[in-house]
Amino acid sequence: MGRDLSFLIPELTLATAAMLMLVAEMLRRPGSALALGLVGLTAATALTIPVLHADTTVFGGTYRIDMLSGWAKLILLPGTALALLLARAELAGRDREGTVYSLLCLVTLGALMLSGSGDTMLLVLGVLLTGLGSFALVSFPRDDAATEAGMKYLVFGSVTGAVMIYGLSFWFGGVGSTLYSDLGRLDGQPLVATAGLLAVIVGLGYKASLVPFHFWAPDAYDGAPVSVAAYLSVITKIAAIFALAQALRDLPVNTGWPMVIALLAAATMTLGYVTALVQTSVVRLLAYSSVAQAGYFLLGIVALGVSPLALPAILVFGAAYVAMNIGAFAVVMVAGRHLDDFEGLGRRRPVIGLAMVVFLLSLTGIPPLFGFVGKAYLFGAAIEAGFLWLAVIAILNSVLALAVYLRIIMPMYGQVDRPADTAAIAQPLALAIGIAFIVTLLMGAFVGVLPG
Amino acid sequence: MPLLTIATFLPVVGALVLMVLPDRTARTVHGLSIGVTGLTFLLTLAIWAGGIVPGSFAQVEELAWIPTIGAAYRLGVDGLSLPLVLLTSLLFFLSAIYSARLKARAATFVVLMLMLETASLGAFMALDALLFYVFFEVSLVGMYFMIAGWGHEDRRRAALMFFLYTLLGSLPLLLAILGLYLSSGTFDMRVWIDTPPLSGLAAMLALVAMLFTFAIKIPSFPVHTWLPAAHVQAPTVGSVILAGVMLKFGTYGLVRFALQMTPEAFTKAGVVILAFGVISAIYGAFAALAQSDLKKMVAYTSVNHMGYIVMGVAVAALTMDPEIRAVALDGATLQMVSHGLVTGALFFLVGMLQDRAHSREMADFGGLLGRVPWLGWAFILSAFASLGLPGLAHFPAEFQIFLATLQTQPWAVVAILAIVVTAGLYLRSIAQVFLGAVNEKWAAMPDLDRGEKWVIFPLLALTVLIGVAPGVLIDIIHTTMQSLSF
Repeated sequence: MGRDLSFLIPELTLATAAMLMLVAEMLRRPGSALALGLVGLTAATALTIPVLHADTTVFGGTYRIDMLSGWAKLILLPGTALALLLARAELAGRDREGTVYSLLCLVTLGALMLSGSGDTMLLVLGVLLTGLGSFALVSFPRDDAATEAGMKYLVFGSVTGAVMIYGLSFWFGGVGSTLYSDLGRLDGQPLVATAGLLAVIVGLGYKASLVPFHFWAPDAYDGAPVSVAAYLSVITKIAAIFALAQALRDLPVNTGWPMVIALLAAATMTLGYVTALVQTSVVRLLAYSSVAQAGYFLLGIVALGVSPLALPAILVFGAAYVAMNIGAFAVVMVAGRHLDDFEGLGRRRPVIGLAMVVFLLSLTGIPPLFGFVGKAYLFGAAIEAGFLWLAVIAILNSVLALAVYLRIIMPMYGQVDRPADTAAIAQPLALAIGIAFIVTLLMGAFVGVLPG
Repeated sequence: MPLLTIATFLPVVGALVLMVLPDRTARTVHGLSIGVTGLTFLLTLAIWAGGIVPGSFAQVEELAWIPTIGAAYRLGVDGLSLPLVLLTSLLFFLSAIYSARLKARAATFVVLMLMLETASLGAFMALDALLFYVFFEVSLVGMYFMIAGWGHEDRRRAALMFFLYTLLGSLPLLLAILGLYLSSGTFDMRVWIDTPPLSGLAAMLALVAMLFTFAIKIPSFPVHTWLPAAHVQAPTVGSVILAGVMLKFGTYGLVRFALQMTPEAFTKAGVVILAFGVISAIYGAFAALAQSDLKKMVAYTSVNHMGYIVMGVAVAALTMDPEIRAVALDGATLQMVSHGLVTGALFFLVGMLQDRAHSREMADFGGLLGRVPWLGWAFILSAFASLGLPGLAHFPAEFQIFLATLQTQPWAVVAILAIVVTAGLYLRSIAQVFLGAVNEKWAAMPDLDRGEKWVIFPLLALTVLIGVAPGVLIDIIHTTMQSLSF
């Protein structure tokens, strides 16, 4: 028990911080809640480093302490800290401000559970914990749009969650255990394996906003505060991808799941970018773009167990995606939600403009930015696993992606009559953009520190 | 001292200095840009003095980058890349001098130009495929913003088309690189060249992907359609860099990647590649003949000249005789340099003409030779060089290519027809613009000023020098080409 708990120190630290944050909020001290959150996240990140190279399980194999869950902490915890900064800039002074901070930390706790899950029940718990917190976050503004968005999100989440639990019972029936590590026994039971697989895809596909379970994403992002949209588009999405990786790693390949995932990947990337191409709201555009990015993650999933590049690919791209996507949303908070708000942004605010160009080109996958390195790993993994056609589709979609992101970049450097913007940017926001910018710009050169 | 690294990154360091500089008046900006590009040019001369070695890369610099996947920062030069490095640093230096007259958002323009220089030098010197790809793509971004920001009337559409077209073009190269990596476990280009890791169908697929990439970049018929649009809309410096330097990525890659890394497949596909070269050469010449816009005409002659390079490389793959192979590759490499010098000069001159007249239509002009003799004679000399007159830069290059072609695949010599067409179109344009009845509209047109002469004369002098004494460059090129083993 003591040994098991000692491996969970980062999670326990975060949970404690979240509770203390709620207390601070009850005392009407949102500033302290924020500080507690940032300290808790930093401490949890630092405490992860000693157990980073462990490869074991705790609590009877249900919770995995391995490379994936270790790096997931190093990616998700700092990502959450960035989201806290964004939320502070957007919501400072609003009612219930502190609850947002503690909810963000609690959802991240669920995200950590998802990425460490070694058991179907832990998967269900993680999905619920991330889901409940997210619904509340989306409907935080209490206006019609936010309530509608939260409602859609909730209904979608409940239905897919129910389907997932139902389907997982097939795996339990087939294996006689809820542990992933026993899934190998499904060999020779294709129907049972497929039923459970579909259920997992429905449940996690909804959370990762894979086509065809992505409909909630643009509405939820649009209704929610931008900082919450930024958070949901990264942390819960990546956690779902990590959970998918944990589950599918142990599923026998001859059940044909890689092909199913590959088809989903192709549909997700293509539909995401094609729809993004016609959006006029930048939040919705980024929402569809984040749908498409989820498809790229799947390139790593299909190669699990075949290519040694697969896990590093998912992690590297995950780290890159956190920085560049949060950065892009942060710039939206500066500029405005509509495409017209970006008219002349590069002239009015040269530094912010440059940062946005870097974020968007990194999302496209242009070297030497961080996003490119992630995509190169993903393409390599997919090719090694024999999915050359999928890599070709991903590459064609990268061209589509460029067209999508240039729709934002082009007006930024057009002629405008508006005077230069001199209004100061809120400090937390500037800090978040700065960190995201430096990581996106330079991590490509120092990617050697990441797993490979 | 890591000269290659310093030369590669000096421009981008200059750009960073510029970004934090408090005083960003046009004067300091251009002073800094001329100083940095001039210093870079001197550094590349020092690299030249450092020399090369036969059969391998010289002056190699290595640094760990992503050790777990075998990618590293590796730079080096050989007889193929060194002439291109010299050409690049020279053209950027002259571009910096030329653009000193630019006032609109000068700092941003110079930052983009310096970024492009780093990308170009890096692409030619990289010995790591991933690193090469990084430089290759960064150049697209720089050129996109240059066209979109400082181009002519229809610049946004042209810039968008350029970026999408060439990104679509470059991504197959990434697939090929990943394929080569997965079968060798490293991104070290030297390993891939010494022992080509792919064979059979995989090699052929990789070759097709690479040919797609490089054909768009070169550009070769039928994927050349982005070129006229991009060139016509690009600012003068953009056109010079695009034609003089960035098109060479295509032909450089054709030799370095396609020929050296998948030699068997290249030989198998040699006749097809040769045919594309021949068609490009002829098509480019006829398309140029049909233009009334001076800049578009020069742009299409690039398709023609680059077609000869494709022919030379294809012939080198097809021949069995190592001597002829060396001749063909010598010619192809020299043609890259000649084209950079001559077409660079032509684009500068067309730009100077446009600065004065705000028109590129040949029919608008007439009898300008008496009015602007320096500009006129410079154009005439460059045009004669471009049409392959003996004693000027293109002649020794094209001569060697045709010589090798004649001995290997005699039918392909039909491409020589294109030279006749090119001669016709240049003589026609000279007659229309510089000879004939004087158009009084241009009576007040000033001749080249001192700055413009500084830009043009080095190019003209080198055009003549390479024409009369090609040995200066061919010696370097030949050292590498005769020791190629595949």
